Amino acid sequence: MSNIVVLVKQVPDTNAKIVVSGDRVDLSAVKKVMSPYDEFAVETALKHREANGGEVTALTLGGAGADKVLKDAKAIGVDHIVRIDTEDEHDSNALQSALATVLTEIGAEVVYCGKSAADTGAGSTGPGIAERLGWASVSNVISVAFESGLTVIAPSEGGNARISVPLPAVISCDKGDMKVRKPNVKGIMQAKKAKVEVKTVAMQGSTVSVVAHSMPPAKPAGKSYEGGAAAAEVARLLRDEANVI
Amino acid sequence: MEPYEGVDFYDIESLLTEEEIMIRDMVRDWVDEEVLPKIEHACAEGVFLDEWRVALGEMGVLGAPLKGYGCPGLSYVAYGLICQELERGDSGLRSFASVQGSLAMYPIWDFGTEEQKNHYLPKMTSGEWIGCFGLTEPDYGSNPGDMITKAEDMGDHYLLNGAKMWITNGTIADVAVVWAKLDGVIRGFIVEKGDEGFSAPEMKGKHSLKASVTSELVFQDCKIPKDRMLPGVKGLRGPFSCLNNARFGISWGALGAAMACFHSAKTYSLSRIQFDHPIASYQLVQNKLAWMLREITKGQLLAYHLGRKKDDGTWFNEQISLAKMNNVDIALEIARVARDIHGANGVLDEYPVMRHMANLESVKTYEGTHDIHNLIIGRYITGIQAFTRTV
Ligand SMILES: Cc1cc2nc3c(=O)[nH]c(=O)nc-3n(C[C@H](O)[C@H](O)[C@H](O)COP(=O)(O)OP(=O)(O)OC[C@H]3O[C@@H](n4cnc5c(N)ncnc54)[C@H](O)[C@@H]3O)c2cc1C
Repeated sequence: MSNIVVLVKQVPDTNAKIVVSGDRVDLSAVKKVMSPYDEFAVETALKHREANGGEVTALTLGGAGADKVLKDAKAIGVDHIVRIDTEDEHDSNALQSALATVLTEIGAEVVYCGKSAADTGAGSTGPGIAERLGWASVSNVISVAFESGLTVIAPSEGGNARISVPLPAVISCDKGDMKVRKPNVKGIMQAKKAKVEVKTVAMQGSTVSVVAHSMPPAKPAGKSYEGGAAAAEVARLLRDEANVI
Repeated sequence: MEPYEGVDFYDIESLLTEEEIMIRDMVRDWVDEEVLPKIEHACAEGVFLDEWRVALGEMGVLGAPLKGYGCPGLSYVAYGLICQELERGDSGLRSFASVQGSLAMYPIWDFGTEEQKNHYLPKMTSGEWIGCFGLTEPDYGSNPGDMITKAEDMGDHYLLNGAKMWITNGTIADVAVVWAKLDGVIRGFIVEKGDEGFSAPEMKGKHSLKASVTSELVFQDCKIPKDRMLPGVKGLRGPFSCLNNARFGISWGALGAAMACFHSAKTYSLSRIQFDHPIASYQLVQNKLAWMLREITKGQLLAYHLGRKKDDGTWFNEQISLAKMNNVDIALEIARVARDIHGANGVLDEYPVMRHMANLESVKTYEGTHDIHNLIIGRYITGIQAFTRTV
């Protein structure tokens, strides 16, 4: 019976059109979804529960608007949903400390999270929390077996490594060949009834702060080549410039 | 094509509950992932994929508004949204769900015995058993009251004789709700796959609803146990109350097809360059797009309000007729205009518009043809029935 926690983050839909107004990204009209890698973390957490028993808590951090991501996790099958309440922006240091505090408070024994969030792509949350808790940590995990402790598979140089992980541990999850379960009506009705447990934590000050956002530079126009005669040149460019062959 | 995010010009979403939105998004995502990549192939083969039956059961959307017996017990608005999203995929998919929930499960739920409900409904809402609804006959379509199929009371069983035609899901159905005359009065009977004297050959060659199975139901001295009659209803009210629920779902479903066509037309017109500019930059094309959005928005408000009236029980039949008639009519016209905006590409299976257009021809005809609904509304306005010459 394990106390399993999965960290979920609400991010702008990866299909959404992002606009910068002034020097800040304007997300007011953007649909928000669970960060895609977190879906693999939820799936892995649920598999862990199925294999070893226990309960899964989904944990997020944010304002009331972030409850949606918890309800989505509940609809897929987690047992408890918890939000650390804060509307302000924080740096990774502050976020990881707050998450570590609450993980200790709820007695987590194993933590799953996405390998990185779709908005920042930083990938620091999992290892950062493990560091604070003094736990084992493996990143980019594509498959987990739950026999004695955990045996996980993660990419290593030239192939995959099978790694034995003692608990407690933080596992950050990648896609692998995992098929994530989808919500159903029963789950959605349970999510509707479920209460989000809201926690307040004294947030530590941020050491870094965002000064301005800007759009990535526009992609340069593509080049087109016609006729068989160009084939050698195209092959050279693909090899030397694009590095794809 | 750019990802689909729904069409909601009047922010109808703000009128939906949290779970209605979640259910809509669940079905929308499923259609994107499991239906759209496979639908053209299913149409070409003329099949309804069995994996769709399984998934609809697992999602828990079959018989959406029915309560108890393992059924979802959702609002009618949620049911409408489910139909909308399914039909954005394909009318065949929505037809499957309409027939299962509104035409096969509903009469058992409303008119069946406790034993019948306990026996059939849990397995039908889970998708394990498929249902169909047999009303139309070769010679009686708009006029089912004159049906020929009859049942005779043989003491310890009923004997069913006759034929039904155009029956969605017929060949793949485990359970058929069949309407037949017993001593001249229309009654509902539950016929099961494998019953002696019952067969359900598939009708082939449709240019419309190709991903939906359509069949004949043939009864030749078909023996039905006594406990398979639905005791709770007599006369046309039985089949018509089923049709009311299905028609309600169609009024939403047709909007889904219209939204798919609008989305495709919008995206295509922005990328198609003629005379040096995107065709979307020309006023004639914008006029078409603006008209589509106008009609979809009106149709949404109609469907939404009707849904809330269904939920609080303040609706009447003619309101459903108006919504079914209007929304299918505009959807079909939107599909045609979208086809036009796509130029020659519009006839290809690479775009959904011609498929929707062909599907909607069936949708316009089944569940009461467009003009039958005009007659229903005409009778409501004038008090004079104009279905036959004898007033
Ligand atoms: C793909 C598909 C699936 C179907 N699935 C089912 C099913 O699952 N179960 C089922 O029972 N049926 C089903 N139907 C049958 C459908 O309900 C009938 O086709 C419909 O009721 C119309 O009947 P009909 O085709 O005999 O046309 P008709 O009734 O012959 O009508 C032909 C034309 O005459 C018009 N018309 C008829 N009467 C009048 C009148 N009094 N005044 C003016 N105009 C009139 C009609 O509007 C129509 O334009 C399905 C049909 C299709 C195409």
